[in-house]
Amino acid sequence: MLFCRGFSRISTTPRKSLLGFILSRPTEPSQSLLSNQYLYSTIKVCGGRKAFSWSLPSLLGIGRQIHHSSSVIEEQFDPFSLVAEELSLVANRLRAMVVAEVPKLASAAEYFFKVGVEGKRFRPTVLLLMATALNVHLPEPAAASVGDTLTTDLRTRLQSIAEITEMIHVASLLHDDVLDDADKRRGIGSLNAVMGNKLAVLAGDFLLSRACVSLAALKNTEVVSLLATVVEHLVTGETMQMTTSSEQRCSMEYYMQKTYYKTASLISNSCKAIALLAGQTAEVAMLAFEYGKNLGLAFQLIDDVLDFTGTSASLGKGSLSDIRHGIVTAPILFAMEEFPQLHSVVYQGFDNPENIDIVLEYLGKSHGIQMTRELAMKHANLAAAAIDSLPESNDENVIKSRRALVDLTQRVITRNK
Amino acid sequence: MARAALLCLLRHRTAAATSTSPLSTYRCQLKTSNSKTPAAGVGRASFCRPFSSKAAVNDVIGMDFANTDSGVAVMEGKERLDPFSLVADELSVIASRLRSMVVVEVPNLASAAEYFFKIGVEGKRFRPTVLLLMATALNVHVPELPPAGVGDTLPTDLRTCQQRIAEITEMIHVASLLHDDVLDDADKRRGVGSLNAVTGNKLAVLAGDFLLSRACLALASLKNTEVVTLIATVVENLVTGETMQLTTASKQRFSMEYYMQKTYNKTASLLSNSCKSIAILAGHTAEVAMLAFEYGKNLGLAFQLIDDVLDFTGTSASLGKGSLSDIRHGIITAPILFAMEEFPQLRAVVDQGFDNPANVDIALEYLGKSSGIQRTKELAMKHANLAAAAIDSLPESDDEDVIRSRQALVDLTQRVITRNK
Repeated sequence: MLFCRGFSRISTTPRKSLLGFILSRPTEPSQSLLSNQYLYSTIKVCGGRKAFSWSLPSLLGIGRQIHHSSSVIEEQFDPFSLVAEELSLVANRLRAMVVAEVPKLASAAEYFFKVGVEGKRFRPTVLLLMATALNVHLPEPAAASVGDTLTTDLRTRLQSIAEITEMIHVASLLHDDVLDDADKRRGIGSLNAVMGNKLAVLAGDFLLSRACVSLAALKNTEVVSLLATVVEHLVTGETMQMTTSSEQRCSMEYYMQKTYYKTASLISNSCKAIALLAGQTAEVAMLAFEYGKNLGLAFQLIDDVLDFTGTSASLGKGSLSDIRHGIVTAPILFAMEEFPQLHSVVYQGFDNPENIDIVLEYLGKSHGIQMTRELAMKHANLAAAAIDSLPESNDENVIKSRRALVDLTQRVITRNK
Repeated sequence: MARAALLCLLRHRTAAATSTSPLSTYRCQLKTSNSKTPAAGVGRASFCRPFSSKAAVNDVIGMDFANTDSGVAVMEGKERLDPFSLVADELSVIASRLRSMVVVEVPNLASAAEYFFKIGVEGKRFRPTVLLLMATALNVHVPELPPAGVGDTLPTDLRTCQQRIAEITEMIHVASLLHDDVLDDADKRRGVGSLNAVTGNKLAVLAGDFLLSRACLALASLKNTEVVTLIATVVENLVTGETMQLTTASKQRFSMEYYMQKTYNKTASLLSNSCKSIAILAGHTAEVAMLAFEYGKNLGLAFQLIDDVLDFTGTSASLGKGSLSDIRHGIITAPILFAMEEFPQLRAVVDQGFDNPANVDIALEYLGKSSGIQRTKELAMKHANLAAAAIDSLPESDDEDVIRSRQALVDLTQRVITRNK
């Protein structure tokens, strides 16, 4: 396969220049312990990237390393950079995949995959990291054994999960946009406004159908089930949000269920799919699921907080947009527990902007924001715990990826946009 | 009397009939018989409507197969059965199961999802009928019918698996209808208000997505990756077909090849691939699976071509009595495409579009002068015959049920092209 081309392994010469990146693929854990120094490239290191432009991105996401003879130095790293190259590959493949026979539709679907609109590519990042964390390595560059082909194939299949997940995610955004008349999504005019309702419905359908085909190609019916469940949950969550009775709106339990459906299910089930495809046990698959679920819940809870506290520029959507759409989120729900009188205001709804002001006042007086953050932290810690419960490994790449996944749980709750 | 009507039917059977349909005479004779199936002859809006690319504004148009258990006539020594009655009981079981498969906790979603599976609006269930007949035709007997159980129980026996294909197919079909109605701003479907008209576009889109996901879940439960691939292809083809229709550049609109490809995507793919899935589940060879595929494909194409004709001719032989809804929506179908071959000047008219009703009249005039209708019927017949030939090429069997089902499948190919609504 492609990754075999043009790679050499240089194991001993210390390199100071960032351009001199080499890829070392230890075949056994013991070997990796001998080569001690690891430096991570980041997207910002343009020179380093260029040096690798001739090489295959699929290899480079995880663990570009420099060998030094000095001792191990713990480096701070950006989890996103660990998989940056691989993400590009995935994104490019995705973009290529959406070029349908009918160009107009392709441009509609592509709309959301264009650079700048792609969002943080948060989900694919999690999935690719999870893949490595579960011991599925990028294969040896020079060898061409059957084992390596299998490994490559497996890695490609896992990347496919990342692609499928993004397609499902974007399809749901497209259909939501049609329905929500959202005029801002990811910082630019939504597809709906730009291209019309119908094309948005069709574009979403197109992505879903492509996701189906890609899923089928994996030849794993359990994975098909998992991701079909995700679609069902997305729809269910959206409907729950549309059709809540006043009572349900005030229920934390209902809200958490809805949040699971709308946000966490995608990450949890796709993490589980990664584990299953990687041939892991049911226990490990469940740990992967738990990580994804808690990460997703933590993410959404902070999202709720930021909708009150964040700034318009950094969020990409107007702040207070939840409450303006009559969506009651965790901070308010907590505030309502402290100040029952808030119930009647919430009951009335938020068409009247005065009600919004009243609610904000109560929110400020209450511990709503804080309690939400605490709940988010609780979930973030659960996610981290799931990673720590994974079967031990001495493999450096595995360790790094797991650290990155844990790191992500922290970033999710400390971010301010 | 019934015999006379049937002989009349036989005489007209192979002619490219544009006269009054003998089928109606046949029906008339049989109407007096008892029917035991609930969906029989109640004149529901058609299954032909879903094949159509136009908005379902005319809910009266439908295929009114008389569903009777005494719908038998002796003709040339062979027993002639109503294809639908052969599988009527099984269809009921499937219908119940379908209703249970789309149950969900969220009430609004539940009522939206089950909207077209409720009794009375299930349509003629043409596709499940074809699939169940195909299942029997491929040598599989109908065992004790399993009860309408919970939709997500893993089916263990072959027949149940094949029934599941029928269920999946219906879910995908209805999902596509829901979205098409949103895309077409349709307000009627199957004789009732379209879902989007009743609940709004939002819920209609969501319900369609939901049905698709349930279909995928059911598909996964079959644990057959080849079948999963086939059905996934169908989903993709449906979207592609709809898109081809919405976004055709001028040149493509004039192309018969493009039109047939679109028709395959929108109409025939579902039938062809699900028929093939039936064969694959039964463990048949690739050859037999391909025959099943060919049957479904040609049946679907024949159906759509006649649908196109009827849009012009309606219940009468003369042009212009049909609903003309295709052309009014700017959809160029086979008869016009043929006419344009004979009268190139028609292209200019088509190019202008049909917002101006005068253009519709001009097009109809050309169509009348041309042999467009005739050629379309001939093409439909060609495909119907190909479908029948596929059945005849199946490995021989002495089993009565098998023989009867195959006969019914062949019979369907004729009904598809001789219907007049």
